[in-house]
Amino acid sequence: MKPHNLIALLLFLAGAIWAITRSEHSVQRIQASYYELAGPLLTQSSAASAKARNFLDEVKHSEETNVQLQLANDELAKLRVEIAHLRKLEEQNVDLHRALDFQENSPFHVMAANIIRRNPATWWQEAVIDRGSLNGLTKQQAVLDAAGLIGKVNRLSEDTSTIILLTDESCHVSAKVDGTPEAGILSGQRGQSRERTALRLRYLSKNAAIEPGMKVYTTGRGGLFPADILLGTVESFESGEVDAEALVRPAVDFTNLKTVFVLTQDG
Amino acid sequence: MIRYLISIFILTLIASVLQLFSPEFASWSDARIMILPLVFLCAAVTLDIAPMLALAFFCGFIWDAQNALASAGGDESVYTQPAEVLRFGYSIFLYGAMGMLMHGIQPLFRMGKWQVSTLLSGIAIFLYLWAEYLLLTFIRGELIFPIEVLKKISYSAILCMLISPLIFLLLLALAKRFGHQIKYQGYVWTSRYITPKHL
Repeated sequence: MKPHNLIALLLFLAGAIWAITRSEHSVQRIQASYYELAGPLLTQSSAASAKARNFLDEVKHSEETNVQLQLANDELAKLRVEIAHLRKLEEQNVDLHRALDFQENSPFHVMAANIIRRNPATWWQEAVIDRGSLNGLTKQQAVLDAAGLIGKVNRLSEDTSTIILLTDESCHVSAKVDGTPEAGILSGQRGQSRERTALRLRYLSKNAAIEPGMKVYTTGRGGLFPADILLGTVESFESGEVDAEALVRPAVDFTNLKTVFVLTQDG
Repeated sequence: MIRYLISIFILTLIASVLQLFSPEFASWSDARIMILPLVFLCAAVTLDIAPMLALAFFCGFIWDAQNALASAGGDESVYTQPAEVLRFGYSIFLYGAMGMLMHGIQPLFRMGKWQVSTLLSGIAIFLYLWAEYLLLTFIRGELIFPIEVLKKISYSAILCMLISPLIFLLLLALAKRFGHQIKYQGYVWTSRYITPKHL
């Protein structure tokens, strides 16, 4: 091999080993810097495509849209009244717990975010949202929608965040099956497409009394996700030699994610 | 050569930005156009080993800056077996290996037939994605190779084949513009003891 090629190969290997030995903190800084540059492009292109879509929808269905808007406004007003009442009940609950020396439960506060990009990587089930560290987001915050748990924040930049979805193999959630004492770890499966998603609930007891149709919720253990968030419904149960697994249909429609809610801490 | 190499680095940066907007085709098993890997693999054919390795480092670094997953977090007493993630920097090795492969098959591009170049670029993308998936499987254990994954890799390779002639045209135009001569000679082995004059 020519000397300069050998030097190039050695430098390449040195550079690759340097990169692979970076700490988690250094990697986060590198990725945050990258997305600070790329983030504005993502948000602007997403805003442009949303505007174009809205314009076309408006042209097509302007009368229909007006009626739907009126209905939505009425529903919103009704929900605001209900939420105000629920907040009061929540505060009373917290006061009562405090009075009884129970551990204080933080009120459930969420921040809305829009999905601006789906599955930016080849093998991960992810989504990019238009909220970042400047909005107060931190890593590992849970992300939900009205139907249930969507995932958690994995990478942050100032204006955007990447969330790892529940359908990804690396997103593990401590889960329990409603109506039974069974608890396990729920995760997505490798190599799934966006349209066909099934979750795997592992480490269940061999003789668990689990049947299709049972609901699966978060346990709240593990420090990542609060308790009692709906994850999905059991589709099938299979007992193995040592433990058992269940296939779970997710509660959330992952093919149609637009607006999500990041769970934030109060104050 | 320096000006050509600089233009290739700029082209790679543009490709990395375009990759952010590359959509998935849900009806094709979520296949996508792998713009950055395709630009790198095509460019690797036109470069010598040293600049190719520099480009591989650059592309692998950008790819991981875009895509590498952070660790799962959570209480270790609850999440006792978190899924392993590919470390930041693994793409650099992958791009380097694929670049060496493309450099080795340079003589196959000598004929200059676009059909051959297109087919070879599709095969290269297929091998790249297959190698990446195998690496992931190796790290996480459980050899799972669903048919959906094979379809995704195959359809992605086909999509890349469709645009590879444009990439090659662009590279050839850049090479002509900056006076870079592409040597389609691959790896040249010379023996220390037997030289041509002895034959």
